[in-house]
Amino acid sequence: MKALTAALLVLVAACGQGRVILNVDVLSFLAASDSVKSFSVLGGIPQTDSTVSRQFFLPPGFGKSSVDSVTATAAAALICTGGGGNVRFDVFFSKTQGSVFTGTPYLTASSGPLVAGDSVSLLPPTSVSLADTVFNTDTLWVGIRARIATNVGPNMTGRLRLQDLHLRIALQDKLF
Amino acid sequence: MRTGVVAVALVLLVLAPLRTARAQFSFDARRYGMGGVSLSRDGNARRFNPAYRALKTNSRTSGTPKFSIPIPIGLIKFFKDHPINQLSHDPMFDPRSTSFNPFALTNLIFNPPIFYEIKKSPTPTNNVEFTIGKNQLIVNLGGSRVLIPEQDFGLGSTSRLFDAGAGFGGFHFGVMGFLQYNVSFTLDSALRRALTDTVTGVQPGDTLSLLSDAVAQAGLAPTVGFAGRLTHGADPATDDGLYLGGAVHYYLGATYGRLTGPAQILVGNPIFGTTPAAGVNDTLRTSNKANGGGVGGDVGLVWVSGPFEVGLGVNDIGAELTWSDTKLQHVTYNTATGNLVTTLDTNHVETKTKLPLTYMANAALRMGTGTTVGGDVVNSGRGTIIHVGVEQRTGPFALRGGVSRDQRKKMQFGLGGGLRLGPIGLDVGFFTHSNSLSTQRAITMATAISIY
Repeated sequence: MKALTAALLVLVAACGQGRVILNVDVLSFLAASDSVKSFSVLGGIPQTDSTVSRQFFLPPGFGKSSVDSVTATAAAALICTGGGGNVRFDVFFSKTQGSVFTGTPYLTASSGPLVAGDSVSLLPPTSVSLADTVFNTDTLWVGIRARIATNVGPNMTGRLRLQDLHLRIALQDKLF
Repeated sequence: MRTGVVAVALVLLVLAPLRTARAQFSFDARRYGMGGVSLSRDGNARRFNPAYRALKTNSRTSGTPKFSIPIPIGLIKFFKDHPINQLSHDPMFDPRSTSFNPFALTNLIFNPPIFYEIKKSPTPTNNVEFTIGKNQLIVNLGGSRVLIPEQDFGLGSTSRLFDAGAGFGGFHFGVMGFLQYNVSFTLDSALRRALTDTVTGVQPGDTLSLLSDAVAQAGLAPTVGFAGRLTHGADPATDDGLYLGGAVHYYLGATYGRLTGPAQILVGNPIFGTTPAAGVNDTLRTSNKANGGGVGGDVGLVWVSGPFEVGLGVNDIGAELTWSDTKLQHVTYNTATGNLVTTLDTNHVETKTKLPLTYMANAALRMGTGTTVGGDVVNSGRGTIIHVGVEQRTGPFALRGGVSRDQRKKMQFGLGGGLRLGPIGLDVGFFTHSNSLSTQRAITMATAISIY
């Protein structure tokens, strides 16, 4: 992929003092089973996590670039089919798999109290981070976490479907 | 280290027009004001047409100066904008700087700042966007997309770096330095689509190819030439007549190299699902020693009849060099290390190269009213350039204008004027040019002092 970038950027160098913008459809890097997670959690559990993490790729050659800003957007839909409780939807990015879920989530949205039959859209506020060194790399890890707290009573069951996850990474023009 | 690189680059920038001055261009602001045409029998005419050696350089009727001294207003501004003691940190030359713009640097190389730029060609500074998905890669170059060439692109020329010698009785003995280079690139349709199509972009399984062919050779050439007058008009004291010139060169090649082949990327399927195979499979031929040799020649004719003059000169006829000791190497790309790997294929083999035929046809009409009209067609190795210009002299004043069609087949325009006071003249010429990575023309003002 390095050569691909090199060949393209011989001509792409046209950006001059402009910026290189990477619009990344992170969702496309996830398998179908990653983007739809069903859960069933015993009632009365104060906190349990359902997570998935996957590696995705950026065009190589940008590793030396300085990141101006990173804008992350996401959307998910949550259906509660049984029981009740709360679900918090978090999205993380990291350079390594081991540290995916250790920091502060880039995106977060809470469902609020749910009961069986509820269906809600989770639309985390767009996050903007500046000079974020996490994105100074060719490969990244994305982590999706559903942090579930259930009400006392029957199991809370449901399904979380990730509908959109995009990154917009603005780089300084240091291509090589 | 970087200071040294910058210094060398600057020296090259400064020397670049000097080198070409003898070959194609001039410091003569008069010429720029006439769209690039030369209405005099200057070094440019002699470079292409050996018959001009038999003609007097300075005709009393042409108003040709003995020489011109450029007034390098552009250099003054350049060094004001780029102080020489800060060049090592100048963003113009520092790729690590966030303000570094490769287009600006390329424009500078193509247009050495000798003369003052009235209107600079805009440097693209737009954003470049990549849309990336597991099976999607779209590159949006924005306004810079128009710079992606549809056909092959590159640069090339045959130059005579110097031509020194002496002669008698029409004969000329000397030695010249020659330099020929040609670099061309061609984007295949998939790569073009990848760079210009903001809807489809790169497709899974695409093979993106950049085809390159770069050759350079240089050396010295001892020369024997003759130029003489075959016929003359009714008054032998005039220049009227037919002139013939010829020269035979023995080319002594000093160095040669040629790189040909594609740089390819085999895009994966899905695009970001697998590591694509990158390929460079080029052939590199280089000379082991300064042992090129070959013979070629120039021939030229000039006919002068009163106010009318026409000439045709052809250079490097049959110029084929035999390099008796060259090596052939393959250049490949190692995906694992990201390095180019060169492997020797054959060594100590003979290679033949050719110098491209170059020519100039010119005509001029000097009217008795102070008006001179002329034109020329020049091919210096890569594309034909056409110049047409006119000069009107009235007393000490001169008004000039002209048009040209450059190597990119774009029309260019020139306008100028001059004031002559005895043996000294001041000339100004404005000319448009597209010698830069832009679709828009730039305008440069050339200024020079002419000594008559």
